[in-house]
Amino acid sequence: METSFAFFTDLFLHSLSLWWVIIPSIFLGFIVGAIPGFSAANTIIILLPFTLVMDVEVGLVFMVALYCASRMGAGIPAILVNIPGTAGAAATPLDGYPMVKKGQGQMALSISFTSSTLGGLLTTVIALLSMPLLARVGFYMHSVEMVVVMLFGISLIATIASKDTLKGLIAGFFGLMIGSIGADHVYATPRGTMGFLELYDGVPLIPALVGLFAISEAFMVIEGESILSEHSRDRLQTGTWHQTLEGVRITLKRWWHVAWTSLIGLVIGVTPGAGAAIAAFVAYQQSRAFSKTPELYGTGHPEGLIAPESANNGVTAGTLIPLLVLGIPGGATAAIMLVVMQYQGVNTGPRLFMERPELGYGIFMAMFTTYLLMAFTILPLSRYMSRVTLVSTTFMSPLIIGFTLIGSFVPREYMFDMYLAFAFGILGYIARKTGYHVAAILIGVILGPLLEQYMLVALQKSDGDFLTLFSSPLGNILWVALVASLILPAFMKHRQRRRKSVFAEGEG
Amino acid sequence: MSNSQRNSFISSLSRRSLLKAGAAAAVLGSSGSLASRAFAAGYPERNIDVIVPTREGGGADRNLRAFTAIWKKYLDTNFEPGFYPGASGRVGYEVYMGKYEPDAYSLIFGNMGPEVLNWVVKEPSFNIDDYIYWGRVDTDPGCLFIGSESKLQTLDDIIAEGKKRKLNVGTSRLAHPASIGMLALAEHTGIEVTLIPLSGGKKTVAGAVTGEVDFSVLTSGTVAAAGDAVKTLLVFNDKNVLGEALDNAPTMNEVYGTNLPPMLSSRAFGIHKAAVDKHPDRFEMLQSTFRKVFDDPEYKASVLKAKGHWEYVNYGGVEECAKFKQAMLELGAKYKSYLTGS
Repeated sequence: METSFAFFTDLFLHSLSLWWVIIPSIFLGFIVGAIPGFSAANTIIILLPFTLVMDVEVGLVFMVALYCASRMGAGIPAILVNIPGTAGAAATPLDGYPMVKKGQGQMALSISFTSSTLGGLLTTVIALLSMPLLARVGFYMHSVEMVVVMLFGISLIATIASKDTLKGLIAGFFGLMIGSIGADHVYATPRGTMGFLELYDGVPLIPALVGLFAISEAFMVIEGESILSEHSRDRLQTGTWHQTLEGVRITLKRWWHVAWTSLIGLVIGVTPGAGAAIAAFVAYQQSRAFSKTPELYGTGHPEGLIAPESANNGVTAGTLIPLLVLGIPGGATAAIMLVVMQYQGVNTGPRLFMERPELGYGIFMAMFTTYLLMAFTILPLSRYMSRVTLVSTTFMSPLIIGFTLIGSFVPREYMFDMYLAFAFGILGYIARKTGYHVAAILIGVILGPLLEQYMLVALQKSDGDFLTLFSSPLGNILWVALVASLILPAFMKHRQRRRKSVFAEGEG
Repeated sequence: MSNSQRNSFISSLSRRSLLKAGAAAAVLGSSGSLASRAFAAGYPERNIDVIVPTREGGGADRNLRAFTAIWKKYLDTNFEPGFYPGASGRVGYEVYMGKYEPDAYSLIFGNMGPEVLNWVVKEPSFNIDDYIYWGRVDTDPGCLFIGSESKLQTLDDIIAEGKKRKLNVGTSRLAHPASIGMLALAEHTGIEVTLIPLSGGKKTVAGAVTGEVDFSVLTSGTVAAAGDAVKTLLVFNDKNVLGEALDNAPTMNEVYGTNLPPMLSSRAFGIHKAAVDKHPDRFEMLQSTFRKVFDDPEYKASVLKAKGHWEYVNYGGVEECAKFKQAMLELGAKYKSYLTGS
């Protein structure tokens, strides 16, 4: 079948006609995304028996819409109450939550929704037009290259540590140590599990996430009456639709920022095994590295919110490309979609586009339509959602602790994970009180095991030769980019300072 | 009762009394059997938990859903799967043996190949004879495959290249029958290989397709499902029963005249040994209803619909499972030094 403009127009109109599936899926996905511990993957698994009896097209559209919406939904608690519900949203509170504290919750949500939508739309269009080309990314991004990509994310620790280098690095290394707990990747020998069976598979991410961010935050805010200062409360209470529109305006003005950070997400998403957490951290690190105002990051800077949200929505389209083009699922949700497709007798890989092009391209068109419909259905809600932060901490803190403990229980259904979340909460509270950055710990916990995994594969392939890390042309380009992104900001800052002083001397 | 006592007891019985005793025994026996059946008839009173030591959405999940969807008709209860992945399946077994009562209301759905090999690498905290596999669902042989764009397109290419340099071979985990098949091939042909564990079937396929490794070894069912992205070159079994779905690849024994036993992964239900001893009636009911699923045309239809391979569906009972478990333990012992890196 020819993939002409008319073909895509037909597909778009057809996917619009499936609004009756997409809109309920959006709301369902949005809710499960916003509840820590739930995710698109485990919701789809729970609903798998229903999905299997649906018509294959309807089933896939349902899953795609739920997947996109849950990604967007995960940003809500991350922004409003500092609870990243999934690892993909772990970089979102870095600037989202400080905006809330300034009374800009409504605007922060609006920025998050708009950048998610734009990032999702853009990457979906790119995916539709260049799927075969993008599927090739996985052929070049091997373990060596992925080690460097991981280091992009991990170097964020150094960035965070810039205010207090020693404490930042200690926190980062502590996180990396926690991340190394669990069975080793080669011989499955348990390390540092302290005899706990529940730690054999490594430290579970959700309890670590909600503990370090949410529970510690609940302990912190209970010391005051409200999350917000008096001024911020007034600002939020008197807020009008203007704040929502302002968020949209700010994001649209930074369209280029949305574009390149979502592309980072798309490329990382296409690489089998990589995921939204890596994309969000790398995008944040790159956004800060090349910003003219890096000092504003971490204080509620819109670009610090746009970068991770655009990137993690870029991953959404990317992760489906290897599934559809090569038959290799790029992530957990894609793997479950493969189950449904196989159950329904649909071939994946090149044959899908020969035998059922309307389904192959239709999945991405459904994704495009979902993002489009989300812009109209979800964006207006930002005004009302932001009111959550007005709730007194007397109620808010126990609610946060209660919900997050349940959330940490859900993925594996271990009581142990609730205790673990609580332990991480205490750890996070101590870290905050003593000036250690919890995000630095978390980066180590999330990216450390992935770095180890890629590093081990690279080293095993080369019989333990460390020089293998510099053996690939693409890897070397990435090394140069990494070094540049670490050195250039400092260099530019130095140059700027020198220019200012020369200018001041000239004036003097 | 001593022998002499028994003899005098028997000789003291008249024909009539013998008949009476026989009749009484028959009544007692049948009432006992009735009681036993009545007791088993009350079973199961609630849902049965099935512990799966791998992630949701994987091959075991698919296999389990297809099987239990039919089995529940015969057993008249629902199955509740619980997924406990981690440490190559070790977590699921530890959870099952440590946290579930041996009352025949919980089963484990494991893969007898790689998971038994695990015990050779590192003993679990429980005695491995404290659970038994009793219901085999399928047998899936390992195979060697390349990505469709690989430079090494034939077995000869692989052997020639393997004599020039050490080849990197992807595998889902070291302790896996397919890994052992690969080691046997390397030993036989004199090539050098490094097995790279890529953590799971999906990543192992991706490794071969994207060129991360030179080629991979894996259970052939997963490889056949990957379609045109891969090409199978060798099967570690007596016969390539899937034929075209595995690119009509020959077996290692056919090509090299070796006598390699089938390198099979085999999904099977296991149960606490104590549950079998305490509740033989329940165990019997599990076994008899389990057997019926294989003859149900609905099961075949659902396997085929899910693009599974009916050729691999292979009923096995306690005896077959015990043999398989023993064979795996022996195989693991042979390659222990490689699997443990010692």
